[in-house]
Amino acid sequence: MLKVKGLKKIFQSGDLKVAAVDGVSFTVPEGQFASIVGRSGSGKSTLLSLLGALDKPTGGSIEIDGNDISQMRDHELIQYRCAKIGFVFQSYNLVPNLTALENVTLPMEFAKVPKQNRLERARQLLDQVGLSGDKQNRKPGKLSGGEQQRVAIARALANKPKLILADEPTGNLDSQTGKMIFDLLHGLAKSENTTIITVTHDLEIAGKTDKTFHLRDGKLKGK
Amino acid sequence: MNVMTRGIRNAFRNQIRTFSIVVILGLSIGLSLTMLVAHQAVGDKIASVKGSVGNTVSVSPAGVRGFAGGGNPLTETQLAKVKTLQHVISTKESLSDRLTTSNTSLQSAVDAGSLGKRFSQNSGQAFTAPAGSSVGRGGDGTVSFTPPVTVNGTTAPTDLSTGGLGGGGTFTLKSGSVFSSNNTDNVALVGTSLASKNNLKVGSTFTAYGTLVTVLGIFDAGNTFSNNQVIMPLATVQKLSSQPDDITSATLTVDSITNVASVTTAAQKALGSAADVTNAATQAQNTVAPLQNIQTISLYSLVGAVVAGSVIILLTMVMIVRERRREIGVLKAIGASNVKVMTQFMTEAITLTVLGAVIGILLGVAAGNPITKLLVNNSTNTASAVQGGFARRGGFGGGLRNSFSSIHAAVGWSIILYGLAAAIIIAIVGSAMASFFIAKVRPAEVMRTE
Repeated sequence: MLKVKGLKKIFQSGDLKVAAVDGVSFTVPEGQFASIVGRSGSGKSTLLSLLGALDKPTGGSIEIDGNDISQMRDHELIQYRCAKIGFVFQSYNLVPNLTALENVTLPMEFAKVPKQNRLERARQLLDQVGLSGDKQNRKPGKLSGGEQQRVAIARALANKPKLILADEPTGNLDSQTGKMIFDLLHGLAKSENTTIITVTHDLEIAGKTDKTFHLRDGKLKGK
Repeated sequence: MNVMTRGIRNAFRNQIRTFSIVVILGLSIGLSLTMLVAHQAVGDKIASVKGSVGNTVSVSPAGVRGFAGGGNPLTETQLAKVKTLQHVISTKESLSDRLTTSNTSLQSAVDAGSLGKRFSQNSGQAFTAPAGSSVGRGGDGTVSFTPPVTVNGTTAPTDLSTGGLGGGGTFTLKSGSVFSSNNTDNVALVGTSLASKNNLKVGSTFTAYGTLVTVLGIFDAGNTFSNNQVIMPLATVQKLSSQPDDITSATLTVDSITNVASVTTAAQKALGSAADVTNAATQAQNTVAPLQNIQTISLYSLVGAVVAGSVIILLTMVMIVRERRREIGVLKAIGASNVKVMTQFMTEAITLTVLGAVIGILLGVAAGNPITKLLVNNSTNTASAVQGGFARRGGFGGGLRNSFSSIHAAVGWSIILYGLAAAIIIAIVGSAMASFFIAKVRPAEVMRTE
């Protein structure tokens, strides 16, 4: 369960204050697939950063499984992110000189999972997202955009997170591949009982999610 | 794969850049090692030269060296002034003399040869040939004579450098015993050649200054000149030669080589124009001055090369961190701590530097000795030219300078370990700034740059 209450993020540059996220409150039950839509500059990515404990809010609270992450210290946030949150980025953000398999093992290495276990889990996840055999040992440069995003999804699932945050996961893909990736994420939300929140411009995709939040000028406009 | 392995692999992500950085670092570390090798080799040589000179100061009557020159002998009263100087720990005194036909039964064991004849002629034929030798002019007009026997009255019978006769050598007692420094008996130590020529053994007697002297011991100095000498107690020679209180040479031993120069100055001041006070250490100091310049240059070059290496790796790592800012953000976002990311980049820096160190060590091994020799030769040649070719004329300084050509700079294990340690220090120092930048990267930046 994800609970957000009165969340605020204000950026200050000299005397100028900009509220990127302004008093946002919402709840997403466990295992649901939610989307956040809004124009460019509406505060979607900032909201995602706050939900992912990548940035600290100026005010409000974020509860994941009953833990208020807005009150955690930096080193606690690192551990929390590692264990409870997975990220999928628009431009995949895989480490270019590591193979697909090695990229998926990275979060498990940071979580101190034994080497053999993480290799097994990584292979299993890559199989699950449809990347098997020789492709698992290819570096990102030798994979298509869709395949790289599959690797990124497998990496996000590596530590069995409670929450996956996806920032425009289909933004760099053609419509057919984008639909496949969306279906994959949707399926995983159900099969892994993981809460997934995605930011998207695509209203068609947003319409297929369990919940949709519209963000405008940092404020939530409807559900 | 762990953080370290990833760091090592990352070092080869851009092979052209890695090659360039490793070569530049190799040159920097190679130069550091070469300069370290030169610094050590030159330092060892300076220590060896200074060590060979010793910590003594020579005092002789003004204008006299051995039996050459002129002037008046020093007296015990005059020497008493220098014995009490600060840093002087002991004094050896001697009175050198020559036995003549009229006052000795000894015959020299050395033939005059052409040099002896020339010296005799140049000296104004002041010497009277010992008993049994033929004196007269040969057909070529040169004087024929047998060189006189020299006697050294001394308070240090086993120190052949004391006495100023220039024979030197190492005293080895072949038979008998040695007299004490304050002995006043009519006893003598006789060189092996002289003893053999005159059939002398321990307990034998011979006449010197018209007095019967007993052979107390036979010594070997390792050279013909010194083995033709008689060594007697100082007081005995002063008494028998009717030169009471006279001294022709003294050696002051100083507590430390660093005080030799000050004692020399103080002794000269105390004795005034009556004495020549010299020390080999000052000459040695002047002679090794070019080496000290090389040592200074090599030290500065060493520091410069290490700093250059650190700056190269620092700039490289800063560039790499800036380039991989997004990747650092992603690593932090998926759970890597600052320490882990820093360790990964530090491992990358150490990998680059160790590869550079391998090239540097090979360069150091190959170039250390030739560059050291080149520096030494250029520097000493310049110094010789400036000093009017003193080295070419031989002498103490010339001899030492000639020994500089034998300087050998070897790259031992200690140097290699220093090189690797320097490489790791360079890598750590070079990564420091990069680590600062890594710590400042916030994972949220990954989202903002999407």
